[in-house]
Amino acid sequence: MDSIVILFISGLLGLFVGMRRQPLSALVISSLGLTGAALAAYFRGQYTSPLAAYTAYIPTQSAVVILLCIVTLLAIWGGYQRYRQENEHTGDYLSLVLFSLCGAIMMAQPNDLMLFFIGLEILSIPIYVLVGIEKGSALSAEAAVKYFFTGSFASAILLFGIALLYGATGSFQLVEIQSNLAIGIWQSPMAMIGSLFLLAGFAFKIGAVPFHFWGPDVYQGASNAVLMYMSTVVKITGIYAIVNVFGQIFRDSYFYWIDLISLLIVLSMFYGYITAWKQTSFKRLIAYSSIANAGLMLFALADIHNSNIFLFVAAYAFATIPLVTINEFADQNSDDLSNWEGIAWKNPLVGAALVLALFSLAGIPPLAGFFGKFSLLWSAVPHIPYTAVLALIASVIGAFVYLRLLMLALKKPEVQVKKALSAEQTIVLLLTTISSITALYLI
Amino acid sequence: MMLLTNAVFFLVFLSNFKRELVHDIRFTALALLMQFGLLGIFTTNTILGFYLFWELTLLPIFLILYWFGNFEKPRAILQFFLYTLLGSLAMLLAVIGLMHATNQQTYEGLLSADLNALGNTSTLLMGGFLLAFAVKIPLFPFHTWQAETYTKAPVAGTMLLSAIMLKMALFGLLKWVLPIFNGIATDFWRWPVIVLGLIGIIYGAIIAIRQNNLKTLFAYASLSHLGLIAAALMLQNGETNQIAVVQIVNHSIVSIGLFLAAGIIEHRIGTAELTGLGGIAKVAPRFAFWFGVLTFVSLSVPFTAGFIGEFFLIKDLFAAHNLTGILASATLILGAVYMLKAYQAPMFGPTKVTSFEDLHWSEITVFAILSIAAIYLGLSPQCLTDFVAHSLSQPTL
Repeated sequence: MDSIVILFISGLLGLFVGMRRQPLSALVISSLGLTGAALAAYFRGQYTSPLAAYTAYIPTQSAVVILLCIVTLLAIWGGYQRYRQENEHTGDYLSLVLFSLCGAIMMAQPNDLMLFFIGLEILSIPIYVLVGIEKGSALSAEAAVKYFFTGSFASAILLFGIALLYGATGSFQLVEIQSNLAIGIWQSPMAMIGSLFLLAGFAFKIGAVPFHFWGPDVYQGASNAVLMYMSTVVKITGIYAIVNVFGQIFRDSYFYWIDLISLLIVLSMFYGYITAWKQTSFKRLIAYSSIANAGLMLFALADIHNSNIFLFVAAYAFATIPLVTINEFADQNSDDLSNWEGIAWKNPLVGAALVLALFSLAGIPPLAGFFGKFSLLWSAVPHIPYTAVLALIASVIGAFVYLRLLMLALKKPEVQVKKALSAEQTIVLLLTTISSITALYLI
Repeated sequence: MMLLTNAVFFLVFLSNFKRELVHDIRFTALALLMQFGLLGIFTTNTILGFYLFWELTLLPIFLILYWFGNFEKPRAILQFFLYTLLGSLAMLLAVIGLMHATNQQTYEGLLSADLNALGNTSTLLMGGFLLAFAVKIPLFPFHTWQAETYTKAPVAGTMLLSAIMLKMALFGLLKWVLPIFNGIATDFWRWPVIVLGLIGIIYGAIIAIRQNNLKTLFAYASLSHLGLIAAALMLQNGETNQIAVVQIVNHSIVSIGLFLAAGIIEHRIGTAELTGLGGIAKVAPRFAFWFGVLTFVSLSVPFTAGFIGEFFLIKDLFAAHNLTGILASATLILGAVYMLKAYQAPMFGPTKVTSFEDLHWSEITVFAILSIAAIYLGLSPQCLTDFVAHSLSQPTL
């Protein structure tokens, strides 16, 4: 709760500073707000307000809040360069990110479906705006409209699912829904359709097949800064929410859903990686890669008593953010992959960060991505072994995709042109690279 | 103990490479990173650690191949990487499955676990490991990455690959998989692997005879030799294993020497095509001498390590089944054909090469160390077999 309050206040302050066209101070305020929120989650994570019985209780674990805050911090720093130059919307951008993060914290680990839905809307609505924040670009406007329509449609389906579940069980509280479902109601058509709609809404949020169609277009239309936020924070929140909701509600009947979820996993991974293979646009490539990664994340549902997804989502975020930052470094206004040719030679830090991020995404030890994948598979293999086999085959295709990008970036250019990173980009790349490597200490 | 041997050998070899090759800081760094991974493989005592280091070696070799190789198209290098990755992921599944099935993860723990109780599952798990090893060794149907990668890779990369990286698969087979899965699983996989090894021996040798490029020829020769070792390891006989270690070390020596020779030829003349070469012996007698010594080692002439290795391995394969023995001995005859061809064509024959800078002192040192080691091992293989006998018979690392 403290974190949300701090984020909200710093978001408001950021708006006022943004009005005065002071991008740097807006950045400082938002960074302070995010740091404060992370610290609050760390120190007051166990704190329950004496008014908890009367107010909304947000049970999100402090580790998740801290992860979300850090990822957002990296995302706004990585994308800051553009807003320093065109300072018309810096304040709006930063505040919208912070407001949306409030929603993310609310919905990440809900215990009440109503509160969860409110969090979801608080998360989504600023993002609709953020996608369209490039007012001059037709692509951006198209993306915003697309995202808004499909997004509200998905929200409606999700809400309908919640309503049906409420009709079947008579409660919004996850604990009560679970105990009611456990006595046999889960077999009733109403509860089943409700849960199916719930699953569809979730799958839309994390962009898993077959609810992925918005992904590539929206990602392509969004600016790098927004893309960084969208492809990491929204996904992390979505997967935490789905694990939490499904883990609680269907604790006794998850065997019933596991086949459907296996299908989603396999489809997402194969579709995502195979389609990413021939992309010529970096943002679309990231979009398809994130569809495949959403499939991988769904492995957390295989063993809902013991799901350990933290490492995977953290590794995913710490690998995606440097890549998008490097795309910003390559060329701010275009996302064509030809900009990436020989980019590793322009700056040594870019080269190192790029190699490590791509290998981490491909899941090569000893980088963080491997440990994430390992901990997911570790709990999933006994439950859905065949899905795991298929997923591993798909990850070979994925390695193809990442290696292709890597080879493009490492190609030695005829003439070497050096290019300097801006200070905040340097910090982002350093931090993400170091955190990818330090996963080695987990052994 | 075995680890120590390996480590010492690798250190020697690595120091040799660096003297020879690119004065490039990136190469040195990557080679050292690779050495870290390899030492890790040979020293770790958890199965997960084994997998981690196994994969860790992929990263440096990929970059070495990509930066220093002359691939016109990235296809070959991708092919190599993906074959290996597919094998490794199969191994990852097998590792996870093994850890779940036994609740053990240390070497000793896994040895004490009763995997026969798992029945077919253990066969499947071992299949996962074998797939990874078969790609690396490489066994017959998984070898297609080998020739092109070896030919196009920088010489140092080829040496690293053939002399060390392939050995880690044999090490894994010898030290981890066979003792752990002793029982139903090894019984099931024994003959398939032996048959694949034999196919590799004959197929590799026949293709090698027809090759025109020196490096490709040595690549197929390597396929042929390693098939023999893999087949013999599957017999799971203590004495065979000791000899197999001799042959593993011998193959490292030979392949480093031969690829170095091929690299020298390619570097000085600009081609490794046999048709473009001839008469080097006249202008570079020292090179001809040392290349000749290594050719003889590779031919398994008595008093070299090759003789000890191949002779006893074939003997043991005879003991297992007459037919396997006969087929395996084909390696000697066919080996003589392609090795003599590889030596004769560039060294003698019509003079096509008129100027050839003779060996540098550092190259002579490398050749001398390799030849002396090969002959010393050939004269007294006990020094190595006794050295490894202890660690092969003891179930601890």
